[in-house]
Amino acid sequence: MKDFFASKNNKILTFTLVALIILAIFTAAGHNWLSTGFNALTVGLSSVTAAGSEQIHQKSYDELKEENEKLKREAADLRAKLVDYYDLKDENARLWKYYKIKKAHKDFELMPASVIRRDSADDFYSFTVDVGTASGVHAQDPVLTENGLVGFISSINGVTARVTTVLSPDLKAGARVKKTGDSGVVSGNTLYADDNLTTLTKIDANASVEKNDIIVTSGIGGVYPADLVIGKVSEIKYDEYDATKYAVIKPYEDIRNVTDVVIITDFKSKGEVAKKITEGD
Amino acid sequence: MERRYTVVRYFAYSLEYLLLFIIESTPGLLPEIFGGKPMLLIPAAITVALLENELPAMFFGTAAGIITDLAIGQSVGFFAFTLTVVCFFLSRIFREYMVVSFLNASAFISAVSTGLIYIYFLIFRVFSGVENALALFASHYISRIIYTIAAGIGLFFLNKAIHRGLR
Repeated sequence: MKDFFASKNNKILTFTLVALIILAIFTAAGHNWLSTGFNALTVGLSSVTAAGSEQIHQKSYDELKEENEKLKREAADLRAKLVDYYDLKDENARLWKYYKIKKAHKDFELMPASVIRRDSADDFYSFTVDVGTASGVHAQDPVLTENGLVGFISSINGVTARVTTVLSPDLKAGARVKKTGDSGVVSGNTLYADDNLTTLTKIDANASVEKNDIIVTSGIGGVYPADLVIGKVSEIKYDEYDATKYAVIKPYEDIRNVTDVVIITDFKSKGEVAKKITEGD
Repeated sequence: MERRYTVVRYFAYSLEYLLLFIIESTPGLLPEIFGGKPMLLIPAAITVALLENELPAMFFGTAAGIITDLAIGQSVGFFAFTLTVVCFFLSRIFREYMVVSFLNASAFISAVSTGLIYIYFLIFRVFSGVENALALFASHYISRIIYTIAAGIGLFFLNKAIHRGLR
């Protein structure tokens, strides 16, 4: 041991490891200045590459060719119009989806966001969006599209936020069958995530869940607002170990390829349980 | 002159890291092969460690680890620690006992990448209680490991060229 510390390089290694331990403790405790700094440096680049990648990879050659021809035809008609016409058109389409959600749920405070990163090490399709605490987003905020719940903000810094999706076992959302009112917990499952499927677990043995039943959030717990669509039942199964019933759910949104989302930063019953507990004390 | 080349070389590695991070995290840019995508910064750090002295190897290992950790979970942890230690000792092994050849590099890239990804899987998937972890390993991790090793061999030649060109 004494010999180990005789070397200058070994001392520096030890010092670096101690510094990393301190850094790990700070970042794990929610002091995310390192993450904020790093993301502030890379968010612009990520936005550009994400947008570029979307254009390059989400369309086939034939689709691009067809679109190209169509755009050429349209370009002649649109020459006199504003040069940023397409940007405005895209933005309008995005805000229109946002407006539809807002119209249906007047108590929701919404923040639109774009997906800028998908991490290759994540097995459940979590992604990073281009808004953070500076935009009024908080950890645990629900994330959705016009087709339903996508996930929740699992970690956040000043400029970006990471979304854990409904395909992940880390997400546990109180849910109910819209038709019958039977309740359960929606959570991802390793066996189904790759097929864009999630599961409704902890269903009562007598519950009458059927194929094609629509599953919505129950609102219990105050984390997710009630009646957000999650998906529809595609199959009823039984756990191979304890024979409990669970439903395989197909979200209406393709979570694996989502590019634009909306974050609910506030809603009427948000944190109701926490408030009740505090009042009870 | 030599010092100037060293600074430029480190700058080139840093740019390479940034580029790899962007490539790795941009949605849809790298194709998935059998459900897996490579973790490019791990082999990048290993190849730098094979070519550089202990301290720069360690610092580039730390940087790669911190970036990987931030990308995964926004807090510093597993990869920062492991890559710091691994890169430091890899560099020492190669400076003192081994020759940087294609065969040696391939063997170490394969062994270290496999080891780190496997330990990550054990700690963050198996021990954290993810159900059907074995199915997850078969569907994502085997291809991820192979893909990472393949990318690592390419990165070895890239970093070797950088090291040779800017010595």
